[in-house]
Amino acid sequence: MKVLNRKNRILLTELTKTDFKLRYQGSILGYLWAIIRPLLMFGILYLVFAKFLRFGAEIPHYPVYLLIGTVLWNFFTECTSQGIQSLIIRSDLMRKISFPKWIIVLSATATALINLGINLVVVIIFSLLSGVSISWTWLLVPLLILELYLLSFGLALFLGSINVKFRDIQSIWEVLIQALFYAIPIIYPLPMVIQYSDFAAKILMLNPIAQVIQDVRFALITPETITGWEILPHLAKNIPLALVFIILLIGILVFKKKSKYFAEEI
Amino acid sequence: MKKSKKVSYAITVRNLSKSFKLPTDKSWGLKQAILNRIKGIKGYKKQEVLKNLNFKVKKGEFLGIVGRNGSGKSTLLKILSEIYVPDKGTIKVNGTLVPFIELGVGFNPELTGKENIYLNGAMLGFSNSEMDKMYDDIVEFAELEPFMHQKLKNYSSGMQVRLAFSIAIRARGDILILDEVLAVGDAAFQEKCNEYFRNLKGNQTVIIVTHDMENVRRFCDRAILLEDGKIIEDGKPDKVADAYLKLF
Repeated sequence: MKVLNRKNRILLTELTKTDFKLRYQGSILGYLWAIIRPLLMFGILYLVFAKFLRFGAEIPHYPVYLLIGTVLWNFFTECTSQGIQSLIIRSDLMRKISFPKWIIVLSATATALINLGINLVVVIIFSLLSGVSISWTWLLVPLLILELYLLSFGLALFLGSINVKFRDIQSIWEVLIQALFYAIPIIYPLPMVIQYSDFAAKILMLNPIAQVIQDVRFALITPETITGWEILPHLAKNIPLALVFIILLIGILVFKKKSKYFAEEI
Repeated sequence: MKKSKKVSYAITVRNLSKSFKLPTDKSWGLKQAILNRIKGIKGYKKQEVLKNLNFKVKKGEFLGIVGRNGSGKSTLLKILSEIYVPDKGTIKVNGTLVPFIELGVGFNPELTGKENIYLNGAMLGFSNSEMDKMYDDIVEFAELEPFMHQKLKNYSSGMQVRLAFSIAIRARGDILILDEVLAVGDAAFQEKCNEYFRNLKGNQTVIIVTHDMENVRRFCDRAILLEDGKIIEDGKPDKVADAYLKLF
């Protein structure tokens, strides 16, 4: 049976539409929140880190640099936490009708993807306004986002399927994601880490999220951005991408094994 | 000859068994889990709910499943609907199946009645354009025309059930699975459902779980009596209804 056959496509679109519709229901600004929220978060980070602490003075277009970092990070957190919770939220459906369960996770993460799309429009407007020039390397951005999406989807499948029985995962993930935020050069620039310790910078850049964020900055904003590709030694350059595929594979396998029993265990 | 006979079955169940692991009171929490592991206590009780069931349902047959509370009826329906997976045995389903298990398949209280109909349709595998064709029919049967643009949370429970039930019977599936729903709605709506079932005879495969022996005698072509996870009577509705009443 084809994975995205007609029946599954219908269900996927309908669930995604519902998710998106419900997300901002009952709020006055509605869909605008998809843009306002990351902008507000960016505003806070910009004030604290760029203005008061004077991070990134040596980096060209630092505000946009910061903005794309927070936008990608928000996408990752939204994708994983919504993906993990989605199975619990839709438990009602699973107990009443049979359908491929991964569609639930896919539709939850698709909603995050739509939000990212909206945010990227904002990022591009900001970039052009602050004088970033259009370059052919922009074409690499969708590929990098795909990489980040596959990572998030793999994590959501893996953690989500365990969360069905052990709800602790949800809480653990919330804490873990806070820690992870500081382990990625989002608010502080990578050169700052290199100054302290070259080794620490290399370890940080093994993280696929850090790799994607730095690469997108490189492709979108300025080729002066230091990437994992630049500082990691030979074979280690491939570790971030390899991690993405390993996590995705584990996610798919675990989900496949566990999803048969979701309706009984939830 | 043989082949065409095979196709005329909507559902074939062979050697079906199902058990659940029910956690005992001493199984929750990390400390208890570790203690149990050390002491070699399992922490759950295995309960066999269905024991080696065998039966077939013909195309167009109206089958009633009866039995006491906890005899395994609902579990059986959930396995037929592929919501639960069997421990042992096989189930062959021939055609599309529309399950109506408990009330309101995937209804969302924050969506309007109309949006819920389309979402529900998608769950059953119908596209928007297919639902467009069924929509009027569903609303008409449910008699909820004036409420379709209101959120479902503002519906009374009777109205919600009416809507769900109308979708289940108007969505054109080959096999309809109904769990304890004949008691839905007020007297007028019940009469309407009864008439629908009377006219149905032979045209659609229906499997129904009910405690109302009147309905079994009236609508079913055949009935099955489950007791303690086993089929103890299978045949004419009258015979099965009598056997059921003798259980008490």
